[in-house]
This record gives sequence, C-alpha cells and structure tokens, in this order.
Amino acid sequence: MSGSTWRNPLFIWGAKGAAEELPSNPHSSHQDIWRKTRESKTKLLPVGRLRYYYKWPGHGSRTWRRLRYWPTRRRVLHIRGEYNPKILRREKTIVDKRPIWWVLGLLALAAAPLFTPLDLQNTAMTAGATFGIYAAINLCWMLVIGTASIYSLATYAIVGTAAFCTAWLSIKLGLPWWMLPPIGAAVGLIFGTIIALPATRLDGFYYALLTLGLNELCRVYFLTSKEFGSATGGLYGADTYVPQGASQLGQLLIGYYACFALMLLALLLYRLVNGRRLGRILRMAPEKREAFAEATGVNFRQARIRVFIISSVALGFIGGFYTANFRGVAFSIFSFETVLLGLAMLVIGGIGRAEGAVVGTLVVVFFDKVLISLGPIRLIIIGAIMLGVVLYLRNGLFGIKAQFRAWRDKKKSERRSTRAEKGGEMLPEEATEAHDKDTVYWRRYDKMQRDYLKTLVTPEVIEEHRSSPLGQHSEPLERLLLYFRRQPQVDKYAITVVEPFKAYRIVALSGHRGVAPRVVEDKVYASTAEAYHGVFLRRVQDLLES
Amino acid sequence: MDVWFVVSNAIVLASIYGTLAIGISITWSSLGLVNLSYGFVFAFAGYGAWLVAQHVSPWGPAVLVAGILAGALAGTIVCALAFIPIHDKPNFTVRGLIATLAINLIGTQSLLWWFGPRSKSLPEIFGNWKVHLGGIVLTADKIGNVLTSIIMLVAVLKWMQSSRRGLEIRAMMMNPHAASIVGIGVRRTGFYVMAITGGLAGLASVLLSQTYYIAPFGGLTPMIKGVSIALCGGLGSVRGAVIAAILLGLNEALTTVLIGGRYVLITQFLFIIAILLIRPRGIAGILDRAREA
Amino acid sequence: MSTKREVLNVRGLSAGYGPMRVIHDLDLIVNSGERVGLVGLNGHGKSTLFYAIAGLTGWQRGSIMLNGIEVGRTRSQGPGRYTHQIVHTGLALIPQGDEIFHGLTVEEHLDSGAFTARAWRERAQRKERILQIFPPLKKLMRIPVGRLSGGERRMVSIGRGLMAEASLFLVDEPSLGLAPKIGKGVIDALMGVDLGSSAMIIAEQNVSLLEGRVDRIIGMHVGKLKGEASAALMLQTNRTA
Repeated sequence: MSGSTWRNPLFIWGAKGAAEELPSNPHSSHQDIWRKTRESKTKLLPVGRLRYYYKWPGHGSRTWRRLRYWPTRRRVLHIRGEYNPKILRREKTIVDKRPIWWVLGLLALAAAPLFTPLDLQNTAMTAGATFGIYAAINLCWMLVIGTASIYSLATYAIVGTAAFCTAWLSIKLGLPWWMLPPIGAAVGLIFGTIIALPATRLDGFYYALLTLGLNELCRVYFLTSKEFGSATGGLYGADTYVPQGASQLGQLLIGYYACFALMLLALLLYRLVNGRRLGRILRMAPEKREAFAEATGVNFRQARIRVFIISSVALGFIGGFYTANFRGVAFSIFSFETVLLGLAMLVIGGIGRAEGAVVGTLVVVFFDKVLISLGPIRLIIIGAIMLGVVLYLRNGLFGIKAQFRAWRDKKKSERRSTRAEKGGEMLPEEATEAHDKDTVYWRRYDKMQRDYLKTLVTPEVIEEHRSSPLGQHSEPLERLLLYFRRQPQVDKYAITVVEPFKAYRIVALSGHRGVAPRVVEDKVYASTAEAYHGVFLRRVQDLLES
Repeated sequence: MDVWFVVSNAIVLASIYGTLAIGISITWSSLGLVNLSYGFVFAFAGYGAWLVAQHVSPWGPAVLVAGILAGALAGTIVCALAFIPIHDKPNFTVRGLIATLAINLIGTQSLLWWFGPRSKSLPEIFGNWKVHLGGIVLTADKIGNVLTSIIMLVAVLKWMQSSRRGLEIRAMMMNPHAASIVGIGVRRTGFYVMAITGGLAGLASVLLSQTYYIAPFGGLTPMIKGVSIALCGGLGSVRGAVIAAILLGLNEALTTVLIGGRYVLITQFLFIIAILLIRPRGIAGILDRAREA
Repeated sequence: MSTKREVLNVRGLSAGYGPMRVIHDLDLIVNSGERVGLVGLNGHGKSTLFYAIAGLTGWQRGSIMLNGIEVGRTRSQGPGRYTHQIVHTGLALIPQGDEIFHGLTVEEHLDSGAFTARAWRERAQRKERILQIFPPLKKLMRIPVGRLSGGERRMVSIGRGLMAEASLFLVDEPSLGLAPKIGKGVIDALMGVDLGSSAMIIAEQNVSLLEGRVDRIIGMHVGKLKGEASAALMLQTNRTA
C-alpha cells in the first residue's frame, strides 16, 4: 500500500488546495472482480450430458411397412426417423435396444450346447436344464415380489408341494408325463389361494417371515410322512418325457431344450402379466404410495392377489414339469438353502426386471452346479456376491445404470445449487418471483461494484477527501464519490443548513414527496467541507457494512 | 403318554425359543433390522462352546459362558456387515434382511467347510440329577434350561431398564433422530444391541444342544420358530414375544398330546395366521393402546 | 471477568436438503457468556442453521468451529452420521417441537441428556437444578412423557438439553405452540440459566419475547443473516422507529 502516490494535475496551474502529491492506493483494476464473479467455478465433465444414440442411415419413416408381430400391429423395434440439418439427410435411431439384447441372449443360450467342451458336457447340460427350471421359477417369483410387491418366500413351497403331489400321483396311479404339469397347476392354485389370504392383511416383510415359516412347515410335513418317501429322501419313479431309449447325449439335449422352452413360456407369462393391464395397475401402486392408487379408484389389492394366484398356478405347473423332468423330487427342495439360493438369484439380478431373474439365475447356477467341485466354498462365494450386491447396489446388477444416473443427478443438482450464488444478491426463489427480471441482473452488478469499491476504501483515500472534499480527486476516490452520488434518493444523506455559513447538519432524505428528511445525528458541523466529509464517512461506513 | 413330560418339554422349548424371539424383537425395534442370521449365530455359538469344552474345560458354566460370548461375537460380526454399511441408505429394511440372509449363507457354509458335516455334542451342563415332583420326573437339564433362560432374560430386561446403555438402547428404539441429538451414537448402540441379542442366541444354542446336536445347519429350525414367535407377538414388543412364546408352547404341547407330533407345525401356523388375521401387527397390538404414534 | 473467547465460529456455511439450498454462505461468531437471539420468519433457515451446526441437514459445506474444534464437514449425504460426535464436543440442541422419547419417563429423559461421563455421575445434582428451574416437573418425574401436555413436554425437552455441560445451547423456538403465559415462563427460565462460559442462541419468531433480555439479536432472512442489533441499539431503534 505504501509508495503509491497520486499527482494532482491541477497543481501545475496553481489551483487552490491542490497538493502536489498525495499518498494513494495502488491501482487495482475493476475488471478483476468482474472476471472473478463471472467465471464458472464448477467442474464440467469432458463428456456431454445428453444421451448418446447411434444414428443409422436410412429414411426411417416407413410407418406402414414395418416389421411387426403378426397378427397384432405391434412393432418389433422402436425406430425413430429424424432429419438432421447438419448432414442434410434423414437418419434413424433405435430408441429401445432391449429386444435386440434379449434375442441375442436367448440365441446364445439356445446355441450353448454346441459350444460346451466335451468333458464338461454332462455337468453343463444338466446344469443348463436346472438353469431353465430355476429361471422359470424365478420369473414367477419376480412377478410376485417385483410386480405385486408381496414379499413371499413360499415359492419353493408351492413348487415342492406340486412336485410331490404329482410324483405321488404318478407313482400310485401311473399317470403319463403330459398330465403332470396341469395337475401341478391345480395344486398350485389351491395352495396359492390359501396363502394369498394372509398376504392381504400383512405388510411387506411381515409376510416374508410368515412364508419362511410356511416353507419350514412343508419341509417338516413332507419329511416326516412315510407316504412321501421319508425313508428314501424323496419320491422317485415318476413318468418322464425324456425317451429312455435315446442316447445319453440325446437325453441331455432333449432335457435342456425342454427346460429352455419352459423358460421361454415363463418369459411370455411375465410379459403378459407385467406388460399389460395388471402390471400397469400395480406400477401405479408401489410399496409406500398405495394411497395414490386408492384415491384414483384403482383396485390394486385385487390386482395383487390376481398376480399372486396366476404366479402360483404357474409355479404349480413348473412343479409338475420338475417331476416329469427329474423323474421325482427330493426333500432338498424345501430346505432353507434352496430358498436362500433362489433369493440370491433374484437379488443379484435386480428385483423388478425379467432380465434380472434370468441373469441372476445364470450366475448362481453357474457357481452352484458347474463349479460343484469347490465344495462349500462355492456357496460362500455366492453368499459373498449376494452380500456385496445388497450392500453396494441399490437394485442388483441391472439397477446399476439407474443408480449411477441418480448419483450423477444428485451431484449435478448440488453443484447447480452452489453455482446459484454468482455473486448475486437474489436467491433463485426470489428471482423467480421478481416481476421485473432486470432487477436480478442489476442487483448482481451492484454487488460486484460494491465488492470492488470496498477494496478501494483506505485511510489514504479518506485523508485525501478530508483535505479537499471538492475538486480534482484521485481515481479510487473519484470512483467512490461517483458511486455514492448515483444512489437513489431513498435514505440518501444530505446536508441541511442550520445557520448559513456557520452550522450544518446531516440528514437523510426520505425519497418520497412530502415526507421531511430525518435527522441522522445531533452533531453540528462548522463548515461545508466538514459536513461533506461527514457525509462521505457515513456513506463509506454504510458501504462497508452492506 | 406322559402329559406332564410333554408339557414340561413344551415349556422348555418355549422358553428357549422365546429368548430368540425377544432378541429379534429388540433388534427390529431399536435398529429397524430384521436379523435372519440367527442360523449362523446359533451354529457359531455352538461350535465356540464345543471348542472350549474340547480344549479348555468341560465344566458346565464355562461352556455356557463360552457359548454366550461366541454368540455375542457373531452378533457383532453381523452388525458390522449388515447394519453399519447400509443403515442410512434407502430401502434399508429389505436390504438389511437380505444382507443378514447372505451372512447366514456364508457363515453356515464356512462352518460346514471348516468343521465338517458331522455333528458334535456338548458335555452335560447341568449334571445328571433328577427331581421327583408328585408324579413327574424332572431331569436336571429341563430345570436348568428353563431357569437359565428365564434368569438371563430377566437380567437382560432389568439391565435395559436400569443401566445407561440400556437407556440409550430404549431411547433409540423410540426416536432415533432425537437419540442422535442427545448424543447417542446409532452405530455404537447398534453394536451393543447386536452383541446382546447374539449372546441371547448363543445361550439358546448351548441350552438347545443338550437335546439336539451341534451341526452347521442346526440353527435354522430354532431361528424360524423364533421368528414366528416374534411375528406372532408383534415385532417390536418384548411383552408380546413372551406371551406368544407361552401360547405357542402350550399349543405345541396340546397338539403333540391330542393329534400327534407331525401336525405341530401345522397347528402352530394356523394359530399364527389366525392371530395375524385379527391383529396384523401381532399380539402386542392389543397391549400398547396408550401409546401415541 | 472471564476472558471472552469464541464458542462458535461459523464461516461460509451453506446447507440444504437435496437441490434446495437453505443457507447461503453464512458467517456467525458467538462468544462465551453471550445470549443471542435469532429472529426470522418461518422457513427462512433458523432451524436449518441449528441442524447444520449439529450435522443433520441433507448436505452442508463450510467451516464450523465449536470451542476451536472443527465440527463442520463438507458432506453431501448421510445426515446425522456424526451428530453424536458433534454433540459430545459440547453442543446441546433443543430442537423445534420437542423430539421426545414417548415411552420413557421424565426422569429417564433427563438422564438421557447427560451424555458426558461427568454429567452422568453428577446427574442427581443436575436433576435437582433442573427441577429448581422448572418446578412443575417435580410431580411428574415418573410419568411417561408421551402423556404430558405441550408445555410440560417443552420443559422436559429443555431440561434434557440443560443436563449436560454444553458450551453452546441452541434453543429452537421455545415458545412454539404454547399458550402465551407458559411461553413467557419458558423464556424466563431460559434467561435465568447461568451461562458461565457457555453461550446460548435462541431462535424465535416472536421478537418481543426476547427484547432487552438477550445480548444480541440477529435477523435471518432467506438463509442469510441480516442486520445485527445489540441490546442498547435495539432500545434506541424502538424509540425512534
């Protein structure tokens, strides 16, 4: 601060009261504060924030001759055509690529038997058959947990009961294999209706605990009843669709493709329930917001029970198929471990999505059946994956995208709210309410000015003003004075004459016509120069306090 | 068919399962976590007691204490893995449930892998004496079981009423937001709660292993029974759990006498479903009428 | 005359919930022995300021020094994660609309407020002191707080806050929802508390209850502190305005 001086240019002409040199502030540019306030302090991502779609060439406006699911008019792929003014051509985008992923995935699964190494063929194909059945079970389970939001853990109880009943009937009455799934479906219907009753009354996971107990009940009942093969660990000897005369490889292949077909049927059922009316009704009534659905008159409770019963029928069907596939059923289907593994399959994939059920089943069955040589460690690995998914991912593997987007949106909004203070005086809420939007900008500009002017106020400048309130001033003082003189009339300091040439007092103008100025202080100044300086000091103090 | 034999059996079982049920109730109401990893805690405590019996001393109380401590240790492990990381994240209830199930899976499988599938047995804790009361013969382990579980339960409940940590736990049960304002750390109290309920489960495990052997999956049935009792009694209330334990124990005894042991579970679940249909929140819904939301 | 030292030093505090920013770059200094009144309309951030000091807002940013210890962290989620640590460095927050434990008795409430080891040991004497400040509680010691009336609950809540030796008392709207006479009684009790080397910030909508009885009154408008008035200047302004 020391060392800067200001030379009064009027000194040369001998103006009265002009000192040759006065100490002053070093020069600080007013552009600095402008630049500092206006720059963006946020970290911008190098990648754009818009979604990225690949653009295919083509017209894309063939709205009549499209690939459709015969006999409906539903499109296979959602393709949108737009005109791009930059390349002067039309182009197509595939808006929803999920059908493509599904088709590729299912084709891969269908062609999988061709790519298994020969030594693993037996394990891999039986594992594949198990995968198909479990995937079907999990899809129905996903309908109950995801769509209907009923946390039921009794799925395997239904499947097991249907399996045991059909096995018993097949052994006792010699029923052929094609009668087993429908009978299983009937068993599933009865069982499902019975356990749907508590589902109406109990909340979320209270019902889960109840069904856990039901599972245990079934296990103990079947375990201790001689008729259901307590001596042999299960029932064996039911009729199967796999022709016994075919070769080993042929049997495995038929089993695999039959289970694959079962999984496709389950996918179809999932689509029919979830994608159509029942699913839409239930999407209106998610877990904690049922009051909204109730207020609009939607009978979501009935929809939930309907989904539950449809799912139970399907599970019974799968139970019958299970018997037909494996020629019997063991008690291990009721064990807690099976339920845990099934839950692991759902959770790893992500609750609420069909692809989650399929991929989760794939992961768990791979570890459980293919890596069976690892012993109990494989289940530890599955448990560890399940724990990791539950701790870190909000909704399983297929929820990663949504979780990442939600996190990114949160960070964006936090940064946006810190950016709101661009040195402005107005908060976003105030700014939206302001009638004249120009005041928002004016206030911001005013704030910047005041910040700059605060840096100009120094003892040297005040001393300079005291020595000559009127006349040529240095730049910092001149800026201050011009700012003060520009202020609106409301509450502006002025000097009132008490006695001409002898006594002056500082008052504050009211700014309104007809209202007298108010006295600011009692002090009486003896000359105009002192009065000017007094006014200057008050204005400087107000500036510093604002 | 010795009626009193059956009844006394039922009382013993009810008191042991009631311990588990109270643990589940306390955990739910103070932490908001449904702890389904008791299968693991049970087996862990059993194996801990067995190790102490093998390598340190087969003296009864030592084995008991070892079981309780091992249970508490398992409880703190579960807390560290399933409660601490996600207790303030969204969807905590379901995620916590699944996390405890995952820990159950990992834990029981590790125990299976480490100790092998053959079951182990514990030495007799209470000795071999008998008491003749009227026409009934009460063996030492029955009396010991009932007395020990009742004494432990009463001790724990009294501790919760009178001590500082107990006050913190109860405060957190009622209003976690205000508890943190008053300086009660959620995570530290969570460890206390899980350690205590783990200890209770360990006690139940050691007591039960007088009748059943210690196996890696031996904890599943008691856990499911305990969960059903807690559910029937109302998940947040200790009194409800006690009442439900007594009722279900009586139910079990009556069914075994009248219909046959196979149908015990069926009648139990019919009873539970009936209660839940009348009172969707369990028996304790009747008891706490004076409480405001 | 104890030396004046800073109990609370807030610099550049911004806090909010989600995308909404309630407090904008706030600075505040409170010295020991001071009683400060914080006035402002509802929704302008008084409670949020208290919650930000205690670490209970959705997110916050800025430096908060309590007794020279930095308790303000820049965090974007997890409200309440560090609150008990902050409370243990000497903060007593008496929140708006008492957060009570509705099953605990009055005596247990007061016990739960004594969170330091020393306060726990001396809790009998402290309870005596609180009962002297709030005599109506003497008869209600064994009753569960859920059954008390609004004024009694407020007394329990404030008593709980006074139990520990806090260096900073944040009292949020003590007269909210109370009948005027009871509200005045509560404020009288607060003014009667001997601060020693602690400080107290009282947030109120009703300025008249605090006039002349606090050392400073600060206004809060839309998340920023505007205008400070010492007691003397307040009286003068009241005369001229």
